[in-house]
Amino acid sequence: MRVLALTLLLVLGGSQSHAADEPWRTDPTAFINYFAEAGIDGILTADIDDVEKAARFRTLFNDGFDIPAISRFVIGRTWRRTSDADKEAFIALFEDVIVYTWSRRFSEYTGQTIEVRGTSPDGDIGTLVDSVIVDEDGQTISAQWRLRQREEGLRIVDVIIEGVSMAITYRQDYASVIRQQGGMSGLLDLLGRQVVESAPS
Amino acid sequence: MSRFMVSPPFFRRAVLPLVALFALSGCADKPPASNPEALRAYEETNDPLEPWNRSMHQLDQGLDTVLFNPTIAVYQTIIPEPGRQGVTNAFRNFRAPITFANDVFQGQGSRAGTTLGRFLINSTVGLFGLFDVAARMGMPYHSEDLGQTLAVWGVGEGPYLYVPILGPSGGRDLTGYAVDNMGIDAMAWIGRADNPFWWQVAYFGALATDTKSNAKPVLEELKESSVDYYAALRSAYRQNRAKEIRNGAPAPLPSFDDFDDEDGDGDPFSGLEPETTSAQTAARPQ
Repeated sequence: MRVLALTLLLVLGGSQSHAADEPWRTDPTAFINYFAEAGIDGILTADIDDVEKAARFRTLFNDGFDIPAISRFVIGRTWRRTSDADKEAFIALFEDVIVYTWSRRFSEYTGQTIEVRGTSPDGDIGTLVDSVIVDEDGQTISAQWRLRQREEGLRIVDVIIEGVSMAITYRQDYASVIRQQGGMSGLLDLLGRQVVESAPS
Repeated sequence: MSRFMVSPPFFRRAVLPLVALFALSGCADKPPASNPEALRAYEETNDPLEPWNRSMHQLDQGLDTVLFNPTIAVYQTIIPEPGRQGVTNAFRNFRAPITFANDVFQGQGSRAGTTLGRFLINSTVGLFGLFDVAARMGMPYHSEDLGQTLAVWGVGEGPYLYVPILGPSGGRDLTGYAVDNMGIDAMAWIGRADNPFWWQVAYFGALATDTKSNAKPVLEELKESSVDYYAALRSAYRQNRAKEIRNGAPAPLPSFDDFDDEDGDGDPFSGLEPETTSAQTAARPQ
């Protein structure tokens, strides 16, 4: 218990000390560049095993994304009828699904970089960062990031690759499952199974 | 047009069972007006033939397993990556007339000019399209098709359709695809001359192999990350088509009529009330 408390204190203290004047906490372009760098240098090209890569990605995903807000959007109109216990279960499973299924693709990384092309207002409430993923042959894939300013800093709420929004795709996938299963519990069962199948062994 | 006719034995063996299956699987039941939420979901999905489409999707995955995946494996083994990119480039170049015609139909003069310039440069300097020299000269590839043109002209997308081998489509896009390939594509004109039917089978077989080989990593990722792969693919296809129709302009915020804007701030991605996420908030360093 003492170790846990000490660790928590270090983590909280550590992150507070660099909270003050880091531009990436409030500047959308700096934010995306910061996270791209952390992802590429700290995970994709780092000399660590797959389990450690997944662990680091989980930390990065929690720091960079507003997972609860994405969860609510992804469940859509069913969210209001969902019990608090099921909401928390969903948020935890959804995080696992993303961490495990995205981590499986890390080995396919072949030196792509992210170039921010510009930013625009996203409705009245956030920023849309426009970027391209450039591979070694100079071929590009478009990637847009929806950002929201939260108390603890900027957070990503959606990634749109070649027009395909992560949030909308999960939302329509899960809506179909909720409809067929007749509710949230069926979705939670299937997600639980997906997590077990995709977890690194 | 006789080149496009299929022989009677093929019709009996392949098409009739499909028609029978279609009749049996029928349509998805439209929810009654007394259930507005379900009705709204039904209309949003716009997939009245869902049971049929799902069986076609399954059939297509079967075809991938027995036919295309082994073909792609052999193809990827005998032709290393730079060569496969050359094949993709050559197909894009050969099919540039489809893009050019639709650039013109949409009144996109400068894009039509780019397509024409690319075709002239890549057909000559690029050795019959194998090398995309034009892209390096600042003329990047884009594609247009009649489905996109019809959308620009205001034609609605029509019901979702899943077509084996071709993949996700819809009423408008499938019509466009048929006209593009039977009316504009050079192979359609070659096919009207004295070439055997098998030329076209080989052409579309090679085109399908190239397309499926390129799409495989993305589709596998979607399959792994989704729970209902069919629904996720339908969603991704529509969003990607919408982006192509916008010619790459940024995606608008998801619309609201199907979303509960609990706090009324106009944002579908609002932060959550603390009580529902106490565990997450506490765990996150401030």
